[in-house]
Amino acid sequence: MMVEVKLVGLGKRYGPVTAVDKVDLTVRDKEYVTILGPSGCGKTTLIRMIAGIIEPTEGQVYIDGKEMTGVPIEDRDIGYVFQNIALFPHLTVKDNVSYGPRAKDLPPEEQARISTRFLEMVKLLDKMEMLPGELCGGEQQKASLARALSSGSKLLLLDEPLSALDSRVRVDLRYELRRLAKELGLTTIHVTHDQEEAQSVSDRIVLMRAGTVVETGTPEELYTRPKRIFTANFIGETNLLEGWVLEINDGVSVIELRNGGKVKVNQADHPLGDAVVISVRPEFVFPADEGMKARVTAITYMGTYWRITANTEDEEEVGFDSATLDENLLTIGKEVYLAVNPKAAVLYPRPEDGVQEAIKLE
Amino acid sequence: MPTVRLKGLSKSYGDIKAADGLDLEVKDGEYLCVLGPTGAGKTTLLRMISGLLAPDKGKIYFNGEDFTGKEIEERRAALLSQTYALFPQLTVEENITFGLDIRGADEKLKEQVLISMLDLVRLSGRSDAFPRELSGGMQQRTALARALASGADLLLLDEPLRALDARLRISLRTELRSLVKTLKMTAIHVTHDQDEALVMADRVAVIREGRILQIGTPKEVWDKPATPFVANFVGQSNFFTGEVLQSSPYTLLRTAEGTVLKGRSSEIPSGATAVLGVKIGNTEISKERPGYLKAKVERIIFEGRNLHVDLMMENGQRISSKVPSWRKGKIAAGDQVDVYWEESKGTVFPMPPGGLENELRVE
Amino acid sequence: MFFLFFVILPTVYILSYAFTNWGSIEQHVLDDPAMLDLILNAISASFQIAGIVTVIDILAGLPMAWILVRKEFRGKRFLDTLIDMPLAVPTAALGFSSAIFFAVTPESLAAPSFALNIVTSPYLLIILLHVVFSYPYMVRSLSAILVQIDQTYETAGRTLGASALSAARTITLPLFRAGLVTGMILCFARSLSETGGTMIALATMANPGSFATGPTLIGDWKHDLTSNPDLAAPLAFVSILLIILSLVLLVVLKLVIMKIHLPMGRIWPRPERLFSRGWFPKTKDGMAVLFLVVFVILPSFFIFTYVASATPVAFDYGPFMDSLIYSFLIAAVVTVIDISLGVPLALYIAKNRKGKLPEVLDVLVNVPLIVPTAALGYSLGVFWTGQNIIPTFDALLIILAHVAFTYPLVVRNVAGAVEEVDPAYEETARTLGARPVQAFRRVLYPMIKSSILAGAIMAFTRSLGETGATQAVVASAITAPVYIVELIKSEAFYTAGLACIVLIIVSYVAMLALRYVTNGRRSR
Repeated sequence: MMVEVKLVGLGKRYGPVTAVDKVDLTVRDKEYVTILGPSGCGKTTLIRMIAGIIEPTEGQVYIDGKEMTGVPIEDRDIGYVFQNIALFPHLTVKDNVSYGPRAKDLPPEEQARISTRFLEMVKLLDKMEMLPGELCGGEQQKASLARALSSGSKLLLLDEPLSALDSRVRVDLRYELRRLAKELGLTTIHVTHDQEEAQSVSDRIVLMRAGTVVETGTPEELYTRPKRIFTANFIGETNLLEGWVLEINDGVSVIELRNGGKVKVNQADHPLGDAVVISVRPEFVFPADEGMKARVTAITYMGTYWRITANTEDEEEVGFDSATLDENLLTIGKEVYLAVNPKAAVLYPRPEDGVQEAIKLE
Repeated sequence: MPTVRLKGLSKSYGDIKAADGLDLEVKDGEYLCVLGPTGAGKTTLLRMISGLLAPDKGKIYFNGEDFTGKEIEERRAALLSQTYALFPQLTVEENITFGLDIRGADEKLKEQVLISMLDLVRLSGRSDAFPRELSGGMQQRTALARALASGADLLLLDEPLRALDARLRISLRTELRSLVKTLKMTAIHVTHDQDEALVMADRVAVIREGRILQIGTPKEVWDKPATPFVANFVGQSNFFTGEVLQSSPYTLLRTAEGTVLKGRSSEIPSGATAVLGVKIGNTEISKERPGYLKAKVERIIFEGRNLHVDLMMENGQRISSKVPSWRKGKIAAGDQVDVYWEESKGTVFPMPPGGLENELRVE
Repeated sequence: MFFLFFVILPTVYILSYAFTNWGSIEQHVLDDPAMLDLILNAISASFQIAGIVTVIDILAGLPMAWILVRKEFRGKRFLDTLIDMPLAVPTAALGFSSAIFFAVTPESLAAPSFALNIVTSPYLLIILLHVVFSYPYMVRSLSAILVQIDQTYETAGRTLGASALSAARTITLPLFRAGLVTGMILCFARSLSETGGTMIALATMANPGSFATGPTLIGDWKHDLTSNPDLAAPLAFVSILLIILSLVLLVVLKLVIMKIHLPMGRIWPRPERLFSRGWFPKTKDGMAVLFLVVFVILPSFFIFTYVASATPVAFDYGPFMDSLIYSFLIAAVVTVIDISLGVPLALYIAKNRKGKLPEVLDVLVNVPLIVPTAALGYSLGVFWTGQNIIPTFDALLIILAHVAFTYPLVVRNVAGAVEEVDPAYEETARTLGARPVQAFRRVLYPMIKSSILAGAIMAFTRSLGETGATQAVVASAITAPVYIVELIKSEAFYTAGLACIVLIIVSYVAMLALRYVTNGRRSR
């Protein structure tokens, strides 16, 4: 069975407020797609429309080729995991997980077989007879996952499934999510505001902001070659430096920065004199003999490297990484010259409203 | 600004020990993070320091003076809770000046403090707004301003960034720390997020089941964990079990398969069972250079600046490694690699009494 | 402490009468088969009626509560207000109005042509009347609980393939039980207690015969007590029986309901699917609204139609106004006492959830709400007149009686509100330097202000409308409701109608004030 999800011009308006603005999206069979974005970007409204919990004001949802307009939730054949877990508090874990089969009025042996299978998959077989309130956060979420899977659906919808959990628990559980989804051959749509989570689990990421899709791509594409400044800033950390195109030679642009320095970027698609913004990630900035001048303001240990923060002459804050800390070269207050890896830096046109507006989160 | 000293603080709820003999010293002007999983007793700790909860045993000293029995309002320790608890019927202005108002400060002082606070937290245009009209980040900054403006000496932060989006948290971390440092306050910040603790703290105290396992600078706690739990909770580690052959100048550990692994010197007697822990970021994998063990690459996950590599060893044990992303083209799933680490990066611990799995359990 | 002495003690005092005056009881009641018969019939009628009324309320009220909580539509606020309306009408007026609407009335009444005029059985009429004023209680209780149950659970059930009906039945309903019990107890108690409306309805209809409920018996006899002192023992007996039976019922209900296993295991997908969509839900909703209108709203306000269509008679406002002012003053004093003493108790209970004493007090607070007010009034009357420490006079006795059953309303309301407030607010205020009193005044009090006011208004209107307790404690007192009863008994129907309308308007104004204050809070 193939399950493809297609959204065509899907939108939702509440009076004057547009929560989702004409979104087009195709999720292929067995693909794991994450819808990522800040609070209020419309991602939860979107997944609820796919599930049938909210009715769209325009556009259509197609699941497995069939149009879903007017089809009630219970007829859509989906598995849904809620942010606040929503395990039925008065039923044991086993009864929770067997609810799906029970709703189809399957014989009791069949119900037991299905629930045992999925509880085993999430390693909760020994907690079968407990009530949800007796489990800790991670276990509750696993039970909730087993319940969603037990409905037998091939489409899994996850609404911020890990947001309520401790960060350490999240790290372990997200690999589990992906492993299970791939093992069972599910088409998965996962909603989250956590970009690290999105990067770890997804085949593809759909980045949303203010009701629209900003960009889609694999985690790698969005990290190394993001098409928009918002993406560059939202996914991973980056330095955004403003400047002008000074020279272009052989596909390499020389940019004069507002802070006085000059850097090279392996891109030549902006004409001379254009106002641009360079996005370069901290691991691609390094101290050199020439480049932009900056004064070190903070040094933080990040475990396998040091993060050094420095202020440029233009009061821009630049962060760069160093594997080792040479105390002679890098102490607070010291002046350094910073260069940039031309292959890793990305050029963008300078946004009209300014960089801060372009990356604003709320 | 005070120094805070906790001596033997204990609190039990029936069988559960929320605090089990806590000893802690916070220096004047220090930003201390108390890091631990949910249920470790972090909130109980803050509530006892603030006076909202009375300990069963133990003492609390502010600047050397015994404050254990003192009333909440006498302690001058402002608490910022996870939900912010902004008074809903008061404006931003009224919320921020609440502490001063209670103490009877005059209008001029209140005005002064208000203006500088609003400026500090970048809320200057919003003093007439009500809490429900503000976004999550703005609410957090208002609650912070309220605590900072209250004239308190000690700032107690209970997971102050938890309610915010991941991306926002990252931006506000540095802002929060610099605000506190600018005002030269002493802060005790409780969290479950290890990234947060490492970036913000002068010192980190790792807490679990009511006991403090280790206190040190972020670097100390990362490089020289005191127990396997700390080694795996602060960052992620790989663990290998075996018998100690020697413990100085470096430790040699022999696994069940007969492989000999090297780690930092320890004080574990020869012949004892021990566990060697190496951070996954320090676990190096290579196709050229020989190492301690061999393993097969199961899965590679792109995480931005790093790749997370999951491997399976010959004996069936699973380990992980973090390598920089530029190595992406050079490793693939199915490859056989050698696993190696610098001996100074491997820490050897005595085998924990309840077993390794129990020790590493987070919940 | 006040609570225990002034409220609980007098309420159950009458029970001691059983021991002290057993002989008297034996003589006048147990050995007198006609008397015994009368009493037992009346009491069993009361309980039966209360039971039937409660069941009707559940069946009609549950769909309505569902509509109010789960559905959004234009005019919802209007529906909301409509449901509360019977609460604004004192039961005396309700009794009159319902009787005119439903029952066959005597010629002298001159009922308007669009009255239904079909009911001849007093039993049926009383049931209909009691449904009118207990229905809002049931709907409100059910709504309050439904609101607290996260709808996500049902949605989760639906994503797992259960139809809306299946999900509601197997997931929400079991979680509902505690609220259902509360609603049932409140309705039952309210019906059991009711005196004024019942008396008036019986007096209004054409041929009531000798029908009586427990409370009406008490009311009638107390009236005749001075001329026939032999009635003291039967009075006590009725009161005792009522009190004991209602307390027993309270306990039984609480225990039994929580243990019953509703058949929620099995799901029948196809039939339940059918009922979840198409015309069925719409019909169900439509019927719920129709029920509301025909059986609750129309009877409540029919009095206006009556007065408009009947021939006017000269109305001597004097005595009525006197009685109204009397009622008003009493209600005002009662409310003030309730607030000043109730709020501290509520705070104590709400903040000390873990202590034994607060838990016990919490349960005790409910006792005066369960015990029928007539019995409560009588017991109280006997208690206070019997002791010699504090001098008593009529007004004081009435005030004490009214305080007994309005005090719990305030305490429950305020305690409930305080429990809803996140303790973090006050705690934060304390850490910012506020002393406990300051924290209360500046942080907690503004948040519970509207529920204190709500409790006060509930107490006020309850006191204003009360008949049973008033008559039982001081038979000769003339409060407004009592006055109306007298008017009807003397067949001054038109005058009674006018008086009812005045009373309705006064109560309604109080209701509006309540809405204004609480809504004003919400939109702020």
